[in-house]
Amino acid sequence: MTDGPGTDAQSLPGPLAGLRILELADETGQFCGKLLADRGADVVKIEPPGGERSRYVGPFLDDIPHPDRSLSFWHYNTSKRGITLNLETADGRQLFRRLAAASDVILETFRPGFLASLGLEYESLREQNAGLIMCALTPFGQTGPWRDYLSSDLLHMAAGGEMASCGYDEVDVPSAPPIAPGGGNAWHMGCHFAYIAIMAALVHRTVAGEGQYIDASIHEACALTTESAIANYLYRGEVLRRHTGRHHAPGPTPRTQFRAKDGTYVCALVAGRLNPRYIGELADLLDSYGMAGDLRDPKYQDPAVIAANTSHIIDDLVANFIASLPAEEVYHAAQERGFTWGAVRAPEALLDDAHLHDRGFWKQVEHPELGRSFVYPGEAAIYNGSPWRISRRAPLVGEHNTEIFCDELGLSRRELAILAENRVI
Amino acid sequence: MSRPRALENIRVVDFSWVRAGPWATRWLGALGAEIIKIEWPENERGRLPSTTTPQDLEVNLNTSGNFNDTNVNKKSLSLNVRSAKGLEIVKRLIAVSDIVIENFSSRVLQKWGLGYEELCKIKPDIVYVSMSGYGHTGRHHHYTTFGPVAQAVSGLTYLSGLPDKPPAGWGWSYMDDTGGMYGAMCALTGLYHRNMTGQGQHIDLSQMVASVPLVGPALLDFTVNGRGSRRAGYPPGNRAHWPGTPLVNNYRGPTVAPHNAYRTDPGEYNDWCVIVCHSDAEWQRLVQVMGAPSWASSEKFATVTARLQHQQELDDKIEAWTMTLGKYEVTERCQAAGVRALPVQSAEDRVEHDPQLRHREMYLAMAHPALGLHKVQNAPFKLSETPPSNRLPSPLIGQHTREIVEGLLGYSHEELRAGFADGTFWPTKRPRFSYMEEMLGD
Repeated sequence: MTDGPGTDAQSLPGPLAGLRILELADETGQFCGKLLADRGADVVKIEPPGGERSRYVGPFLDDIPHPDRSLSFWHYNTSKRGITLNLETADGRQLFRRLAAASDVILETFRPGFLASLGLEYESLREQNAGLIMCALTPFGQTGPWRDYLSSDLLHMAAGGEMASCGYDEVDVPSAPPIAPGGGNAWHMGCHFAYIAIMAALVHRTVAGEGQYIDASIHEACALTTESAIANYLYRGEVLRRHTGRHHAPGPTPRTQFRAKDGTYVCALVAGRLNPRYIGELADLLDSYGMAGDLRDPKYQDPAVIAANTSHIIDDLVANFIASLPAEEVYHAAQERGFTWGAVRAPEALLDDAHLHDRGFWKQVEHPELGRSFVYPGEAAIYNGSPWRISRRAPLVGEHNTEIFCDELGLSRRELAILAENRVI
Repeated sequence: MSRPRALENIRVVDFSWVRAGPWATRWLGALGAEIIKIEWPENERGRLPSTTTPQDLEVNLNTSGNFNDTNVNKKSLSLNVRSAKGLEIVKRLIAVSDIVIENFSSRVLQKWGLGYEELCKIKPDIVYVSMSGYGHTGRHHHYTTFGPVAQAVSGLTYLSGLPDKPPAGWGWSYMDDTGGMYGAMCALTGLYHRNMTGQGQHIDLSQMVASVPLVGPALLDFTVNGRGSRRAGYPPGNRAHWPGTPLVNNYRGPTVAPHNAYRTDPGEYNDWCVIVCHSDAEWQRLVQVMGAPSWASSEKFATVTARLQHQQELDDKIEAWTMTLGKYEVTERCQAAGVRALPVQSAEDRVEHDPQLRHREMYLAMAHPALGLHKVQNAPFKLSETPPSNRLPSPLIGQHTREIVEGLLGYSHEELRAGFADGTFWPTKRPRFSYMEEMLGD
């Protein structure tokens, strides 16, 4: 199951091998740390004693809540090592400074001003490490009237503009609210841009040798992630309407989501592509199931006739065709004939996707403390010269305290015990 | 003295079109890389069709507003890569470049004779990022995507909507935006690796596959607990849990109430505010903001489990209050008291009414030769030593052909003229823009 393409390359180091990164991130920034860690960086996650609060977000293994059993935490913290450290103690700050002196990047998601209140602002950490890069990823950035506002994924999807673009046609759900897509994507958006900023700083450092401070904003990342909505407003003054399962638009548009025989849906982009050639190809597809209807009629060689029959083609012929078959069958039959259509799948259906298996996408990840291994999703892209990999499951609370504080920083086991007794670790 | 830029002296050969690829190189350009966009008007996709041309301008290759915003910080070389001469020129360009990026179908560059092995012969340490729908590897590499199809097939669409209704999905090509993010991430990661090791590589990105880790917790709930997402009460709309269905985490964050969108005054299309309470303390603060109404002291709302159980009534009561205020007033009152609330913002709201985005200079005006002065979106991060910035408006098609062909690649002016005459730099039968005529003068 884990054998993917380029097996020879699998033994090579990842593209970020050799980098040491300190991650002080909650649920808002942990995905950025994963992106760095799965590409080979040594990401040390620094959590408060007892563990980061994102360990308490479900679902949990076998539905038993426990900081080492959060599946959300598991997914977003692969390939990292984990230590606990209380920065609000003098010993904690001293140890943190020692770690910072030997690190390449610090990723932090504390509220603006928190690290500075502890005397751990970037300028002071940089004094002992000129190449240090520090990325503060926060809901609204380090400045501005909303700087100290509280947030959540739902809040970002509202203010960022995602909700204004997602929802339902009146005919499907009357008076529907704007809908915030699920899955925690505000954090993904912020983390993608933070990763880009960190990599840019790292590339610059390979040339100039100096580190720098990055102030990244999740709100801005979300506000940038609504495709043409901003351009529609800036250039044409348009405010877009929400439509069921398809693009926002200034006015009504033909549907693109059709119910299949199995009760699931197919995304079939037809409108906007209707020309005589496309009608011929569509007739071939529908005809292979004996459902071409009148599509072979020569009248459809006339674009004007096509335009006048758009509703008939989409709402009768295409809709009936899809309604007669399972969604997966429509998806593959259409794609094999060159149609850009897809099945609207629930995530669990992806485990049966042959293409993902061909790419070696699914990874077996060992959980030695449980004596079990589980299947995890893999990489967005195949790096042919420096592979992406999950090097280990997410760390247990304080799992690497001994390894890092004793083996690397040289503390004795007795000192470590004192630190634990004093709630420093 | 001008500030250094993070990607100073990095050159990118950009074959990409439509949205995902151009959105990737846009950010490399903002960080200082020289982006050379290879275009050909006969099969251009991204400038046309345009639905964002200002009402008072003619729709043509140079007047798409969305193209402008997606392609700032780039130069344009119009070149027929399908001709022998055009191919030779693009190879000379690749030889002096660092990154090649494209988002064609999986076999297109190979067919042109520009597959990774060929690219290596031209530039041994080239970083090549391919951004096709399904990637270059795997049995469905020939399948094609638009954002909505990648979102559907990967499970992203399914995560959005109300229970027992069709998926609401994403109202735009989220995976064109996000695919662009991954394109830029791959290019930067490959570039860093090259700078450290001297080795280039081919990075095989797939828009569909890139979507899948974004549904990670839902996938693990299935691979670990055997629980699928096709279940009662899922997805729960804007709520953390749908009333009357099994209490299972919804993969957005903690399961709490209130957690919803509420109508605000005056009740127009985008008059909504979201409110979330992550703790009893936050709930009690919201109660105070609402003026401590007597209903809020009921046992029905005293604990988080009780609030989840009586969520519909809770939401109705809260909405009766939010309807008395505008969405920014609800936001300000809640946040001043330490309650999580923000307005649903349209594009107009973000550009005109969002005080935070204004303070952070998210939208700054820039002049474009055909479109005039318009605001352009800026980077969502600030780098202290190498700040990202928009320095060039999007290029007119072929605007930089002379600069690149003569200035960078060292062809003579006569060769440029010959290339225009024989259809290498512009289709011979297609009318030229005036700036091309100027380019051909002495």
